[in-house]
Amino acid sequence: MSLLKVERLSKAFGAIRAADSVSFEVRPGEIYGLLGPNGAGKTTTISMISGLLKPDAGEVFVGGKSFWSDPRQAKRIMGVVPQELAIYEELTGRENLEFWGRMAGLGYGEARSRAVELLEALTLTDRAKDAVKTYSGGMKRRINLGCALLHRPQLLLLDEPTVGIDPQARLNILEFIRNLRASGTAILYTTHYLEEAETLCQRIGILDHGRLLAEGTLAELQERLGGDRVFLLEADFKGASPEAWDGFLQRFRVIQKTERQLVVAAIGTRDPSECLKDLLGLPVRVENVTLKRPSLNDVFLQLTGRDLRE
Amino acid sequence: MLRVLLAKDLLRARRNPLPWLINLLMPLCMTALIGLAFGGKSDNGALGRIRFAVVDEDRTVLSDFMRGAANQREGGKYLEPVFLGRDEALRQILDNQLSAAVIIPTNFTRNYLLGSEKVSLELVKNPAESIHPAVLEELLGAVVTAMNAVAENFQSDFPELRAVFEGKEDYHKVSELIDRAGDKLKAAKNYIDPPLVSYEKEVPAVESNDGALEGGGTKSGAAKSAPAFNLFAYLLVGLAGMFLLFLASTGMADLHREVRLRTFERYHTLHQQLLPFVAGKVLFAVVMLLLSGAVMLGGGGLIFRIPWQQPAALALLVLGYAGFAAGLMAVLVALVPDERRATALNTIAGMALGLAGGCAFPPQQLPAFLREHITPRLPSFWFVDTARALQSGGADVPWLLVTLKLLGLGMVLIGIAVMLFHRRFRQGLRA
Repeated sequence: MSLLKVERLSKAFGAIRAADSVSFEVRPGEIYGLLGPNGAGKTTTISMISGLLKPDAGEVFVGGKSFWSDPRQAKRIMGVVPQELAIYEELTGRENLEFWGRMAGLGYGEARSRAVELLEALTLTDRAKDAVKTYSGGMKRRINLGCALLHRPQLLLLDEPTVGIDPQARLNILEFIRNLRASGTAILYTTHYLEEAETLCQRIGILDHGRLLAEGTLAELQERLGGDRVFLLEADFKGASPEAWDGFLQRFRVIQKTERQLVVAAIGTRDPSECLKDLLGLPVRVENVTLKRPSLNDVFLQLTGRDLRE
Repeated sequence: MLRVLLAKDLLRARRNPLPWLINLLMPLCMTALIGLAFGGKSDNGALGRIRFAVVDEDRTVLSDFMRGAANQREGGKYLEPVFLGRDEALRQILDNQLSAAVIIPTNFTRNYLLGSEKVSLELVKNPAESIHPAVLEELLGAVVTAMNAVAENFQSDFPELRAVFEGKEDYHKVSELIDRAGDKLKAAKNYIDPPLVSYEKEVPAVESNDGALEGGGTKSGAAKSAPAFNLFAYLLVGLAGMFLLFLASTGMADLHREVRLRTFERYHTLHQQLLPFVAGKVLFAVVMLLLSGAVMLGGGGLIFRIPWQQPAALALLVLGYAGFAAGLMAVLVALVPDERRATALNTIAGMALGLAGGCAFPPQQLPAFLREHITPRLPSFWFVDTARALQSGGADVPWLLVTLKLLGLGMVLIGIAVMLFHRRFRQGLRA
């Protein structure tokens, strides 16, 4: 049974549809990645799931029960890590953890011991008594994450928890999240970093302009491109029209075409060398061909016509 | 939960006390500046004795008489004349040791009694003081008026008086002069007594030990009079009324920081009800206001030696006012999402309430429309007016009712603030 189920969730701010009929579910011990560029509707979706925003339409089920039928119970099950650092800079790391533990309903002693545990798990014990304002960006992010874990939530909502930190700090946080997943926590993880979604998440939903365009495992999403490899051609494609090339669209799916680049995936199970021969025979002077495994960016490209990194 | 929220906010305030200290020290500094500029002394808050120099360059019986009159009977209570030469007097004025110097010039008596030349007394005022020199100027004006009246009515006797002052007349002539002066004063009695305009100080009736009411101080010298007006107390209560509003703004503006830092949002992810969080912030503001009130009024009382008449009632009144101020600022914070705009609005609201409520100016000095229709409806006026009434020793001051009114209003405002925050969250709370 899924711990979180989102059904046709919609929210509009004036004329802008921030979430448009979004549906997915997260199972215990799974990291579900919600991937999309800035403004795709990831934070709005998390805000609706955590009860900060009331959806215009749709339902959120937490632990099998509708969120709005018993919001207190639903909030007890989940922990939310906001994108911004929602911590008190004047307080020490330990004081922050203890405070949020008390807010989550823990007693004084329990909050204290849990804070010590988390400081150790987050490798912050030696800085526990320092004010958070003296921490590095990565350390602040770790405390921000820890503040949502005091009450041992079964469902963790992480809204871009690695934004703006160095690669090493990011690796530490991702490792910590993997450990949480291993302990059975269901995690909804929003990000616009492709690599994070690819390496961390068991299933990924691709969100753009408030709509969930596709979801599945990385392999399933790659499969949408028609295989496990794509070809990147560099040439002068100004004025060139793949539709006009004889039988080309029957053999290849165009993922992206620019003036200098053409990204295509072979349709059906064909030998790569055969595909290469086809491509070199095109009526343009091909300068370079690269064969690669399709990435999430290629999936996103195919779905939206835009590069996620743009 | 309120205790945990309060402890967190107090800890944060302790680690960043500057905004609080600024608003705390301002009223004390302003009270000291205004009080000292207007010549208020800290001894019981009364004006104190006026120390001034009499420079007698005339050295005659009349000038001796004027010198002596300055510190006799009632005059001695309020005036402290010192007799100096001109240079020394001017030096002491420059050193701020004297409020003024009255100079009786050479030949003053002679010219006055001759009536041939215009005579004048010289007053040198200390420019660093305002009240004491002004009082002396008024007194000197009264002396001049009296001397003019004497000159008008006793001019015919002046040649003989001059001879007396110069030591040329015998005592028979002196007794005749006194006799004639008595006759002239008798004739003027009908015009002087009873006076056409009179002033009587009202002294509240005080119940004596045997239960009998004593009043007016006419029958019994034991009647208790009202405490003397204390300029520092008057100013401090008013400025406290205004600056407590600013401090409440500082306290409740922390809600803006909680919104901006997303900690309010984080709280909302844990709890559905917002009331405890807002109430926690109000409680924090109230505690800080009580501490600030204690520093302002208690510390200020010690600094300026103000004997607070009913400290317990005043403390409860501050509690009620703190509740109102925190509630009001919570509503303003909830109403205006933009932190900078809200800070400006809170300051303007605090100043408007303070000024129109008679915190900075005596309410009697406010424009008539404001004084009659607006000021009495303002909670800031309820507070300062009641606090000042308590300080002036009023027995029937309804301080408890005012305290309850302020607390009640504060609670209503907190309720409104919570509703507004719920609405803002529903619409997508953003700083």
